[in-house]
Amino acid sequence: MAETKEEPRIGVFICHCGTNIAGSLSIEEVKEYAESLDGVVVADEYQYMCSTPGQSKIIDAIAEHNLNGVVVAACSPRLHEPTFRTATEEGGLNKFRFEMANIRDQNSWVHMHDWKGATDKAKDQVLIAVAKARMLEDLQPKSVPVEHSALVLGGGVGGMQAALDLASAGIKTYLVEKAPTVGGRMSQLDKTFPTLDCSQCILTPKMVDVGRHPNIELRTYTEVENVEGYIGNFTITLRKKARGVLDPTEAEARGIVGGGCNGCGDCAEVCPVIKPNPFEFGMAPRKAIYIYHPQVMPLQYTIDFDSCVKCGLCVDACGPEKRAIDLESVDTFEQIKVGTCIIAIGYDYIPIEEKREWGYKQYDNVITGLEFERLICASGPTGGHLIRPSDGQTPMKVGFVLCAGSRDNTGGVNKPYCSRFCCMYSLKHAHQIMEKIPGAVPYIFYMDIRSFGKMYEEFYYRIQNEGAKFIRGRVANILEDPITKNLIVNTEDTLLGRPVSMEMDMVVLAAAIQPKPEAEKIRQMFGVSKSQDGWLLEAHPKLNPCGTTTAGIYLAGVCQAPKDIPDTVAQAEGAASAASIPIHTGEVQLEPYFAQCVDDLCAGCGMCLNQCPYGALDLVEKNGRTVMEVTEAKCKGCGTCGGFCPGGAIRMQHFTSPQICAQIDAFLLEGGEQ
Amino acid sequence: MARVKDYGNAELEEKLRDTSYYTDDSNPQFLEDVKKISRTAANMCFQCGTCTGSCPSAPRSSYRIRLFMRKGVLGLEQEALNDPDLWLCTTCYSCTDRCPRDLAPTDVIMAMRNLAFKYDIVPRNFLKTVQLIYNTGHGVPNNDVNRAAREKLGLTRDPATTHSYPEYIPGIQKIMDFYKMKENADRILAEEGQ
Repeated sequence: MAETKEEPRIGVFICHCGTNIAGSLSIEEVKEYAESLDGVVVADEYQYMCSTPGQSKIIDAIAEHNLNGVVVAACSPRLHEPTFRTATEEGGLNKFRFEMANIRDQNSWVHMHDWKGATDKAKDQVLIAVAKARMLEDLQPKSVPVEHSALVLGGGVGGMQAALDLASAGIKTYLVEKAPTVGGRMSQLDKTFPTLDCSQCILTPKMVDVGRHPNIELRTYTEVENVEGYIGNFTITLRKKARGVLDPTEAEARGIVGGGCNGCGDCAEVCPVIKPNPFEFGMAPRKAIYIYHPQVMPLQYTIDFDSCVKCGLCVDACGPEKRAIDLESVDTFEQIKVGTCIIAIGYDYIPIEEKREWGYKQYDNVITGLEFERLICASGPTGGHLIRPSDGQTPMKVGFVLCAGSRDNTGGVNKPYCSRFCCMYSLKHAHQIMEKIPGAVPYIFYMDIRSFGKMYEEFYYRIQNEGAKFIRGRVANILEDPITKNLIVNTEDTLLGRPVSMEMDMVVLAAAIQPKPEAEKIRQMFGVSKSQDGWLLEAHPKLNPCGTTTAGIYLAGVCQAPKDIPDTVAQAEGAASAASIPIHTGEVQLEPYFAQCVDDLCAGCGMCLNQCPYGALDLVEKNGRTVMEVTEAKCKGCGTCGGFCPGGAIRMQHFTSPQICAQIDAFLLEGGEQ
Repeated sequence: MARVKDYGNAELEEKLRDTSYYTDDSNPQFLEDVKKISRTAANMCFQCGTCTGSCPSAPRSSYRIRLFMRKGVLGLEQEALNDPDLWLCTTCYSCTDRCPRDLAPTDVIMAMRNLAFKYDIVPRNFLKTVQLIYNTGHGVPNNDVNRAAREKLGLTRDPATTHSYPEYIPGIQKIMDFYKMKENADRILAEEGQ
C-alpha cells in the first residue's frame, strides 16, 4: 500500500459562488473552522474560486505553504472538478491531490433558509473532505489508443447526418440500420414544416450519399447483437438478418459475376404472398419479397421470411444471370472494432388506440399524424388524395387533436412531456388540406400552439390566415355517427367558455411519441442511462446534450428526447463532432479510479468476475497462483468488486477503504452534533 | 342537432338550454362581413387578451372585447349582435394601439354595430340620439342650464352650430335621409311601442 507517509499539509478554499453559497451560510465561520482542523495549514475564501484570481489563490498557496493536498468547498465536482484539478496541477501537485466539498448543490441550495444549519453542515463537509485529503496519493491517468472508426446506430436523418459528418472527417463509419433501407421516419413524411419542402426530396440526396461515401460502411437490415470494450476500443457484434437477396458484391463473392439484385422488381411481380405494408401503416399491400418505396437505399429487395412460402417463383423470375435470390439465407454475424459510437435510434408512436375516448382503431375515420402523411403523400397508397378510410370520400371538415397523449400525467400510454413537433406538423397538415381540397376546413383542437422554432410562429400566422380554425380545448372524446361515419368531437372552447360539439368528416390524432421498444435493450448493451420518461439520458441537459455518462457513446435525434428535423440534424452534427474528437486525438485518458488486486490477499475464487458490469476482470496465473487481474481500460471504478470481495483483496484507487473510513470516522468522531 | 327539449315552460326551456357550440351555429359570412366593413384581419385574432386588458370599459362592465373577436372568428353572428355589451365600447382605441397582431378590435366592434343595425338591433338611447341629431343637429342639444352657464362665462347663449344657424339642419337631414337613419330609428322605436 502506497499510503503517503509525509505530514499532511492541506489548503482549504471556500467559494462564495456569488450569493449562491455566501447568501445561505457563514463563509467566515467555515473558514475559521477549516483553519482549526488537523493538517490544514491555510484556509482562504473568494467570491468565485473558479475565476482566474480564485484559481491563482490555489496555485500560489501550493507554492507558499508547500501544500500536498487541496480542498475546495464550492459547487459540484461534475461542474468544476476539472477546473480545480488543473489548478492543483499548475501549482505543481499531482492533480489527484485535490478533493471537493459540494457545499452548494448539496447544502446552500437545499438549506437556503437555515443559516446556522447550513453553516454547520458546511463545516462537516469540509471536515470530511479534509479527512480524505490527508490520505490522497499521486495517481497517473491511463492513456489508451483509439480505433480510427465509428459506429452510428440508426439510419434515419440523424444517423445519416452523423455518419456523413464522421465519414467526411476521414473516419471510417459503420452505419447500421435495422430496416432494409435507410431513411427512417423522415422518408415517411410528405412535406416538412415550415418551409414545405418535400421530405423525400431533401432526404434522398443524403440517402444516396451514405450509400456511396467511400468512408461509410452501410449495414442495412442489421442489428447490434453485442457490445464489448470501452472508449477507443469497442468491439461490436452485428447481426445481419437473413435478407434472402444478394447485393452485387455478395453475388460476386459467390462467383456470380455481374449478378446480384439490381432492384428490377421482377421478383415482387410474381410473388404470390400479399401482406400489409408496414411502411404505409398497413394501408397498402406488399409482397413477401419487397422494397419499402422506389427510393430505397440500397436498392435491394428483401424477403420477409415470416410470410415467404418459398415457392421459388421469384428465383425463376430473377433468372440465371443475376441469381440474386437465396431462399436458404440465414442470419450472419460480423465483428467490428470502433473507437466511438453514436446512437440515433429514433422513436415510436404511443399505442393511441388505448385512449379509448378518441376511438382510434374503433372508428374508421380516426387516423394518426403519420397515417395522414402517407395519405397526403403523392407516393402514398392513395397517390396523394386524402380520403376517408370509411367510404373513400374526400373529407371537407378535418379535426386535428393536439396533445393526444402528450402532456398527460395519468400514466398508462400517456406521456407527461410535450412531443414537440405535433403542433407544427398539424399546422402543416391543415395547410395541405386547404391547398389540396378547395373549401375544406381544418379545425385544430389545441391547448397551446408551440411554434418555437425559426419561422415557426410565422408559419402559424400563415396557416391561420389561410383559414384554419383554432379551437382552444383538449378533446374530451370523439363519437361516431354509425350511419354517416362522421365524428362528433367534444371539448370546451376555453376562450368562449362553452362546450363544443363539432361534427367532423375525419379526425387526425397528433399522438404522443415514446422511445422505441428496443431502446431498453440497446441502452443496456451500450451502458447508457435513461431518464425518467425512458428517453436515453444525455451527460448534461445543457452543457453536454450529445454525450452520455459512458465515455465514447453519444446520442443524436429523438432517442434522446422529442425533437424535430432541424434539431435532430443539429444534434447529429454535434454528436459527430464529439465522437470524432477522441478518434482524431488518437488516444484517450481514463480516470485512474481502477480496481487493483492485492495479489497476496486474492484467493483466486473468481466470484468478482460475475459481479463486474464491464467485464473488466479476469483470472490469471501469477507466480504459480491463480489471482484476479483488472483490465484497467475497461474498469470504471464502480467499486462493485471491491465491495464484494470476501477477502478484501480489491483496492479501489482514489476511493480506498482507509480513505473512506477516515471520512466516516471524521464525521462520526469529530463532526456533527456531539 | 336537437337542442330544444320542449318542457312546455319557456323559463325552464331557457334555463336548461343547451349552450354547446355546434358546427352549424357558425355563419362564416359573418366573419367575412366583419372583415370587409372593419377593414382589419379579424380572422387573425389569437385571443391573447391584450384588448380586454387595455379596455377602460371592461373593469366596470361585463364588456369583453376579446369575446367579440372570438365570436367573430367562430361566425357566431346572432350571439355577437344580440349582446347588449356590444354597445359599451367607447371607441377609445386603446386595444387597437396595443394589439400584437396589429388588428383593430375597435373597428371590429364598429363593424358589428353596423351589422346589428341591419337587423334593427340597436339600443334605444342610440336611436334617440339619431332623432336628436335629425331634429337639432346635435346628439346632445343645448338646454337652459347650459345656456345660463354659457352666459356666465361670457359666451353666446347658443354655440355657432345649427343652434345658431338652423338653416343648415336640412342639409344634415338630407344626409341622414339618404341612409334612412331617421326613418329606421322612428320605425324601430314605434315597433317597440314608443
